Amino acid sequence: MSQLSEVFNIGLLQNTLRTATPVILAAMGGLLTEQAGIMNIGMDGMILVGAFVAVAFSYLCASAAMGVLMAVLSGILIGIFFAVFVVKLRSDEFIIGMALNTFAAGLTVYLLRSIFGVKGTFSDAAIVSLPTVHIGFLENIPVLGPLLNDNSIFVYITWLLVFLTWLFLYRTPYGFWLRASGEHPESLETAGISAHKMKFIASILCGIFCGFAGAHLSLGYLTMFSEGMSNSRGFIAFACVIFGMANPPKVFLAALLFGFLQALGLRLQSVGVPADITSTIPYLATVLMLIYIVVSTDRKKKNKAKKQLERI
Amino acid sequence: MISKITDTLREKRPYLMSLFLSILAALLIGAVLMIITGYNPVEGYAAMIKGAFGSSRVFGNTMAKMLTLCLTGLAMAVGSQAGMFNVGGEGQLFLGGLAATMTAVYLQGVSPFIAVPLAFISAAVAGGIYAWIPAMLKVKLNVSEVITTIMLNSVAIYLCTYLTNSSGPLRTHDRGVMAGTDAVPKDFMFEQVISRSNLSTAIIYSAVIAFLCWYVMKKTSVGLEMKITGENERFAFFSGLSKDKIMIGAMVASGVICGLVGMFEVFGYQQRFLPSISNEFYFDGMLVAMIMNYSPLGIILMSFFFAVIDIGANAMELSIGISGELSEIIFSIIIFLMAAEGGISKAVQDRRARKKARAHLREEAVQ
Repeated sequence: MSQLSEVFNIGLLQNTLRTATPVILAAMGGLLTEQAGIMNIGMDGMILVGAFVAVAFSYLCASAAMGVLMAVLSGILIGIFFAVFVVKLRSDEFIIGMALNTFAAGLTVYLLRSIFGVKGTFSDAAIVSLPTVHIGFLENIPVLGPLLNDNSIFVYITWLLVFLTWLFLYRTPYGFWLRASGEHPESLETAGISAHKMKFIASILCGIFCGFAGAHLSLGYLTMFSEGMSNSRGFIAFACVIFGMANPPKVFLAALLFGFLQALGLRLQSVGVPADITSTIPYLATVLMLIYIVVSTDRKKKNKAKKQLERI
Repeated sequence: MISKITDTLREKRPYLMSLFLSILAALLIGAVLMIITGYNPVEGYAAMIKGAFGSSRVFGNTMAKMLTLCLTGLAMAVGSQAGMFNVGGEGQLFLGGLAATMTAVYLQGVSPFIAVPLAFISAAVAGGIYAWIPAMLKVKLNVSEVITTIMLNSVAIYLCTYLTNSSGPLRTHDRGVMAGTDAVPKDFMFEQVISRSNLSTAIIYSAVIAFLCWYVMKKTSVGLEMKITGENERFAFFSGLSKDKIMIGAMVASGVICGLVGMFEVFGYQQRFLPSISNEFYFDGMLVAMIMNYSPLGIILMSFFFAVIDIGANAMELSIGISGELSEIIFSIIIFLMAAEGGISKAVQDRRARKKARAHLREEAVQ
């Protein structure tokens, strides 16, 4: 019984928020490209570059804000890079995405070695991490207080960004055009708006989101950079986009669920389950959730068709 | 025969030309990167060449690397010919390697003529089953194999790490060995072809597998059926092909090859299964396959170039301190350029056509 309470406690929920945040951020970017009709499996590399740039500039400029800013800037550049290949030159998205991941992994390790002279992990007291937020009046509320207080600032920004993404996609003409560029590019062109331009915008926004995700990973979640620290989060974010059918609130929930599972893994380690075993949980869960979502949407479609047939 | 070769060369000339230019551009960008980070690129590339060809030992290592890249690349190509993108080769490689190693360890003392074939079978079965799962999910439920295979990679790697790391249940009890399984008995190991190098008789098995891949993909009706399925699933279905069987078969074959690669790594030179058996070998092979448009013959040739860069870059890191990851950067740049090749050449053509049209117009205006 005491073991159960060691696993299921407030720390579990706190960890959920912490671990879910980078995935939520990347997934928001991923749903934008998905809506624009681009299969983006290069997010993992985008996150990795963001994480590296954030740490590098936080260290060199002694400012976390500078780190985040440069991570976003690098995200914009990668977004443009990605779009030039996929949209402008019509290259295979799958190949470009995989190559982007390899490129990012190679480049970050290469630069880590040549700029900071270290291999594997770079952590230094001079890296300024992101501030945490303390809200005074929450202190006295039992569960919510410890849960919502003292999180890295990005945890709160992320919630805001989820709302803004939804607002952008479903309440602004730009969002409407962006969705159209994926679903009916020809109609959009007929309406006089360039589908290419909207796809470019989606890629750049995705780059920015992944830059945020990387910055949070290396300056908020941890205060260091290590080789391959994105650890397939980009792919998990991609899976979340598919579970959530590229709809911001649904994708948000999917990413939270992933965060919960990863946090559960961390908690289970504290009661003696080997770390390598608990680490498989989020990946296995992703496969299971993917199966569930595909099967259930399939069934829904069939039911709908059946009903329509009956009506006739 | 010779005229046939020259004919195909002429046919492929634009492609080979852009491949050559892409490689050149990638090497140049690599050189620029070396200059920016304060190294001498001439020195760097010289160290790379020396590291890949400098002695018979390092050349053996380069050849061994080529086998790994070639087989993993072919594994990718076999799947994708039938429209199945097996991104999960890394996990299949881990499981195949572990299965073969444990089989050999349990069969210690048995004749190698029985034990080694059994190790082959267990590696193939482990890799094959691990590819069969996502294949079934794709064919029966239409779950994207790209994501499931990526996720299953992580699962397999963590699982193998758990089993064989310093406190895992399959860990060796040999003293002074931090992690990994027991060593494969000496008489089961493949013989070395070049002494003290990583090149073993795995080269023979690899050649057989590579030949089979090429033959099946290019010269048999099965290969054609795979190609039709990969290009247009519906067309394959309405042509009466059992496309489900073809897709699952291609994916399983891909997994079997990856499992065998895992075995070759251990039986060729590593001796023990270590959690560090592969450093994303499959992903490098995948890049080779993508660059060569999944053509088996191209993959076999290109894997040599990749092996030279890869082994050379590692040697360069040891000798003059430039990070060996430079190889990954060069590889990915080649891919970017090759993937964009169609788009770039089209843009160039368009510009030329526009120029011509404009000149034509001007002429007409003058007249």
